[in-house]
Amino acid sequence: MNIPDDLYYTENHEWGKAENGSMRVGISDYAQEELGDIVFVDLLPVGTTVSKGDSLGTVESVKAVSEVYAPVDGEIIEVNAALEEAPELVNQDPYEAAWMVVLKMDDPSQVRSLMDAQSYEEYVKAEAK
Amino acid sequence: MRTPLFGEHERLHAKIVDFHGWDMPVWYAGIREEHMAVRTSAGLFDASHMGEIFVTGPQSVPFLERVQTRSIGKMPRGKVYYSFFLNDQGGIIDDLTVYCLTPGERYMLCVNASNTEHDLAWLHDQNREGAAIEDKSPATALIAVQGPEAARVLKSATGFDLEGLKTYSFACAATEASGEIMVSKTGYTGAGGAEIFLEASHAPRLWQDLTAQGAVPCGLGARDTLRLEMGFPLHGNDIDETTTPLEACLDFAVDLGKPCFIGRDALVRQAEVGLGRRLMGLELEDKGVPRQGCECLKNGARVGIVTSGSISPVLSIGIALAYLDRGVASGDEVDVMVRGKALKARVVHPPFTGGTMCIIPKRQ
Repeated sequence: MNIPDDLYYTENHEWGKAENGSMRVGISDYAQEELGDIVFVDLLPVGTTVSKGDSLGTVESVKAVSEVYAPVDGEIIEVNAALEEAPELVNQDPYEAAWMVVLKMDDPSQVRSLMDAQSYEEYVKAEAK
Repeated sequence: MRTPLFGEHERLHAKIVDFHGWDMPVWYAGIREEHMAVRTSAGLFDASHMGEIFVTGPQSVPFLERVQTRSIGKMPRGKVYYSFFLNDQGGIIDDLTVYCLTPGERYMLCVNASNTEHDLAWLHDQNREGAAIEDKSPATALIAVQGPEAARVLKSATGFDLEGLKTYSFACAATEASGEIMVSKTGYTGAGGAEIFLEASHAPRLWQDLTAQGAVPCGLGARDTLRLEMGFPLHGNDIDETTTPLEACLDFAVDLGKPCFIGRDALVRQAEVGLGRRLMGLELEDKGVPRQGCECLKNGARVGIVTSGSISPVLSIGIALAYLDRGVASGDEVDVMVRGKALKARVVHPPFTGGTMCIIPKRQ
């Protein structure tokens, strides 16, 4: 399982990458593997304001639908339009090509509430048991 | 519960889910890949969780004539019928296949895993004729090999010649590696191929031999998308005790000409009155995936509900089975409500894609 060191993680298996007051968000390698073949990604539009824990949209596999949640408070300033045509990118490249949205963070210090790679790895191991 | 093939699933690193109390593989490599293997070459399924109930003795025929919907008086040895157990209201207790082992003497019923226990209790309860009923499910494995290459794979692995068998019939054969096998030219994918019953202890070896010949292990996920593409109903989703075979457009498996079987009177009445709803297909024109429970609207009014939905790996569009009210016809456009969004869909008669073998006649 791939868990890059430079990202933050949530209990719902989103990742976040801090970028100058913004956060790029996607779902983790573990999440995409659990979901299986992703067939549809439906994200909220640019301009939507969300609080930590709010839905950013849905990721749908052949078998199931799951929500993607905001890791922090903020406003959606970018949406990855490529996922509309190529949802399989979430399976193929969850951390790079398949980023989902960029949030302008209301409070950049909120990143401290998220897990680092090491904590997330332990969290996933515990959950997989 | 685990099937005799659980060790194989673990060895193949399958993702295991709980399916009505059974630890079953939902996928190995991925649903889409497995689905396409069945449509283009050959896929392998563990269906050992399904139930095998033997009904034998001189009372077997009068008993079976009364509890299931097909007329079996003239059923020849080696024939398979798709059939139903119905309740008094004509609701579907289970759908099953009936195998004639010895006419007048010996029949096997293959029933849904999730219903086996309930079916057995019901059959015993109904058995005023005194037929012998025996549950051989635990000792019996079932492996399905499906797809255009299935016959070749089966021949290479066991020597059995599937080409010599007619669709919806079966034959028994002795094999060196897997002992006695009962090969049925049936399936739940529309892709052709066989379902093979054998003694549980021989199942891992047959599974390995079939994979060695190129059959791709497939999980319940692909099983579901494959059957949905063909419009085959799944008991518990599309058909249950509150729906009748007529509403599900499965009349072909009900012999209303047979004078007496449980549920017949209700079906005759329903046929006279006319059907209030029918199980039909939906092809989504908008992007999205319809799921069980999604409501269907026409001109803003509720006209039905989705009972199974997914994405078709072959067509790459959302497809569904839905009960739609009388008056909604093939070719109509309806809205399917998916998480608050109205998605446009076209009403169609399944199958959604051409299979190489369709067990259910195309609906008119």
